[in-house]
Amino acid sequence: MYVWEFAALKPYWGLIWQGLLVTVFYTVTTVAAGLVIGLIVGILRTTAPRWIAVPLRLYIEIFRCTPLLVQLVWMYYALPVLIGVDMSPAMACFIALSLYAGSFYAEIFRGGIEAVDVGQWEAGRAIGMRRGKIFRRIVLPQATQVMIPSFINQTIMQLKNTSLVSVVAVGDLLYQGSVITAASYRPLEVYTTIAVLYFVVLFPLTLVADRVELRMGAHR
Amino acid sequence: MSALIASNIHKAFGDHEVLKGVSLDVARGEVVTLIGASGSGKSTFLRCLNLLEMPQQGELAIGTHQFAFGRGVRPAGDAQLALLRRSVGMVFQHFNLFPHMSVLRNITEGPVQVKGMAQAEADALGRDLLAKVGLADKADAFPSRLSGGQKQRVAIARALAMKPEVMLFDEPTSALDPELVGEVLAVIRSLASEGMTMVLVTHEMTFAADVSTRVGFMNDGIMAEIGTPEETIRQPRSERLKSFLSRFHETH
Repeated sequence: MYVWEFAALKPYWGLIWQGLLVTVFYTVTTVAAGLVIGLIVGILRTTAPRWIAVPLRLYIEIFRCTPLLVQLVWMYYALPVLIGVDMSPAMACFIALSLYAGSFYAEIFRGGIEAVDVGQWEAGRAIGMRRGKIFRRIVLPQATQVMIPSFINQTIMQLKNTSLVSVVAVGDLLYQGSVITAASYRPLEVYTTIAVLYFVVLFPLTLVADRVELRMGAHR
Repeated sequence: MSALIASNIHKAFGDHEVLKGVSLDVARGEVVTLIGASGSGKSTFLRCLNLLEMPQQGELAIGTHQFAFGRGVRPAGDAQLALLRRSVGMVFQHFNLFPHMSVLRNITEGPVQVKGMAQAEADALGRDLLAKVGLADKADAFPSRLSGGQKQRVAIARALAMKPEVMLFDEPTSALDPELVGEVLAVIRSLASEGMTMVLVTHEMTFAADVSTRVGFMNDGIMAEIGTPEETIRQPRSERLKSFLSRFHETH
């Protein structure tokens, strides 16, 4: 029977905390960047002419149909060679994670926008509103409502996906875990702790998501 | 004096010619009802009057707004269309209320966002209009809490809030349960008695005969007959209209 020895982690709490902050930092920044990318690409996909919409579709499919791990490694090892710029692991990770998130958010936005009945556009036009205003005040708020469940799902995935940055030696929660394991020879305690930490951060987020969904749908 | 003049309106969807040169001149204060079988083009024609559908040929004049359509004529821009639609109200078959806004906000959205009216002033206007359509107590309700008839009355109030010169009704009672039709027709009737200029597409033949100054029968993309309700409904000239009316009386 294995004897758990969580006390052995005591000297490493600082590192774990640091790792957790890095994970949260990557999640927040790449979700924010991904949302901006996703909103712009999603809107353009529904409204722009073909010569813009087709390349955007290509971008989305490339990032949806290749593994994030491959994208990270490619951004770190291949892209700097191709464009002749030195890129820090942190930068490569930020770019890859943002573009990856952006491609998924774009599809969520597009789906949400297209789910709004054309009658809503017509009602806006019929009272003399212009395109931009109808979009902002009538369509987007309704699209957002439809999008919330998928949006939360994708954001949860994004936080979990940040664990892949440890591959290129960015010091996130999982990376610190492997460092601590090497020093303490306590992989069971370390990885259990790390799994629990991911859970502790994400589970409340799903509860918040449920409440937001309920409140936003209250008038339905 | 004409409130609305549409001349020689043509509209095709792909190869399908829906309107083959329809003209209509509506005097101020007139109520014109369009009847006809589904597919006759009457709804499309109505939607051409506030340019939700863009005609491919013809001309449209409403108040000071004038548009011409056809090859070599530059299509009207978003801003110009928005200006026209300020003065033309429209009520849809499926209401199209904004589900994320309260009833009062649905009504004030146009005046505030399009005309730049202060919210307080728009609220007062909105409450007046709600009282007028008999829904004073529903100001803070959301559309999902209303019956179909109530939704349509809110939609009418929303259109009226822009103080339009002309009101268009696209089968306003077709999506309603039979027992809710009356309350909507009553509101339309009271607008007519106040002298609002209106163009209606409806299947409520008795109502049309009662409230209209003229009734137009559309068939196969043209205005086949138009005249007083007496002429069009009680003394139809063409065989097409006679058979449409008799089929109609059998089923209603």
